Amino acid sequence: METLREIISLLSYFVLPLILVGFPLYGLYKKVPVYESFVEGAKEGFEVAVRIIPYLVAILFAIGMFRASGAMDFLTDALRPVLALIGFPAEVLPMAIVRPLTGSGSAGIVVDMINTFGEDSLFVKMAATMFGSTETTFYVIAVYFGAVNIKKTRHAVPAGLIADFAAMLVAVWVVRLLFA
Amino acid sequence: MLNYIWAGLIVSSLVFALFYDVRDLTRDTYRNDTPLPLTVAFLDVYDAEARRTPVEVRIDPDKYGDLYATDARPEVTYDATLIRTNEGTQLRFDADASLPEPLATIRDVTNSRTEQLQGRIAFEEPVGAALVEATVAFEPVRFVKMNAMAGAALDFAETAASIALSLIGVLALFLGLLKIAEEAGIIYALVKLVRPILKPLFPEVPDDHPALGMIALNMAANVFGLGNAATPFGIKAMEELQTLNPTDDTATNPMVMLLAINTASVQLVPPVLLLALMGLQINQLIFAIIITTGISLVVAITAAKLLGRLPKSRASDPNRSGGTEERKNGGTEALPS
Repeated sequence: METLREIISLLSYFVLPLILVGFPLYGLYKKVPVYESFVEGAKEGFEVAVRIIPYLVAILFAIGMFRASGAMDFLTDALRPVLALIGFPAEVLPMAIVRPLTGSGSAGIVVDMINTFGEDSLFVKMAATMFGSTETTFYVIAVYFGAVNIKKTRHAVPAGLIADFAAMLVAVWVVRLLFA
Repeated sequence: MLNYIWAGLIVSSLVFALFYDVRDLTRDTYRNDTPLPLTVAFLDVYDAEARRTPVEVRIDPDKYGDLYATDARPEVTYDATLIRTNEGTQLRFDADASLPEPLATIRDVTNSRTEQLQGRIAFEEPVGAALVEATVAFEPVRFVKMNAMAGAALDFAETAASIALSLIGVLALFLGLLKIAEEAGIIYALVKLVRPILKPLFPEVPDDHPALGMIALNMAANVFGLGNAATPFGIKAMEELQTLNPTDDTATNPMVMLLAINTASVQLVPPVLLLALMGLQINQLIFAIIITTGISLVVAITAAKLLGRLPKSRASDPNRSGGTEERKNGGTEALPS
């Protein structure tokens, strides 16, 4: 496992340089006017970023209000007994709820948990596994769909949330299996 | 779906903020009309004419607990300043004072800008040399959560815009590189390479369409933990998919699939942020993360496929309602029935 990680992380050092240098170099070889093409493509960067703004504002302000009003804490408390039934520890519940909503919020929870339970605790391992293996679903929806002005998301949200839910359960189970 | 979740977040925020604030009002959590008793110790000889007098404040822990009905206890002493104003004498705690609840909340709500707890002081009787008993009345505190909620909405709106704008540079960089890759034929070569793997996931995308190449780059960047590059690639993939979309504002099945794959976030290299938080501990977790991310990817793909077969999803599929366009559809699934 250690060597595999070494290999992957070694590879990941070279992927970015390969794209940054390799693409223009190969373009040169193919007689593409590289500088002109680059500028042509890069022009779009600003437009895309601006196009995302309304979608990101809509999602983030609603999530911000939800957290600040105390509704998120209430949700955590309400779900606690339900999840205890399926063996989901209440200590990592805040992580499972916050993760799809905000990236910085869930990073804050990892820090909190390290301070409360210590780095070696099972709960911290579960939370970190959740953090590492899922994405901030609502942020991804806002950015990716916002970039092409998609407003009717159809079954994207349920599919993303189902995947998140599965990841949370698997994270608890895998960490128990490996470390408990 | 997103409509309901979004409205749900906003409405429940209001409901819960109201609930907590009304509860605080009925319990009088902040004891708005009862001043806090404390003892003031003068460090120098008290000069009645001086505008500012540095003092030391002592709060009796038991009286404090009784007054606010709390288990939180104040520290032994606090540094503070007496300030003479036209409306009487004010006691101002230093900015770095670590105050117990609910004093901390009172400070945040009444004086969030300077982060100094401040109240009107009334002296009672001296209890010793340079020691005087007194009471401090703070500004009344009401509707804490309502305030916090409105404040959060404004803050996050600002954050959202700055996040989007901070993407400009990276977006421009990678979109520029992608343009070169497109014109040099790299994307086309990539499409041929990944077609056998991606075709079953995206049957609606025509065989030689550049979208498949962009999707492959997006997934590769995710696998190597290059979140910065993954986002522009994913956005470009969405734009390519949008060219196949007969409608302007409705997601197609391949778009939902791409999104589901991205929310499951296939990564073999853990995100940099997690590395920063956990340090070398992460080495132990790498295996757990790979298993979890793998299973969630399978679940995401299955969910996107199965949910796409529901009658409701079929009815809203842009490729069905607008299926009259002359376009090359990848599979029979995308054809109107």
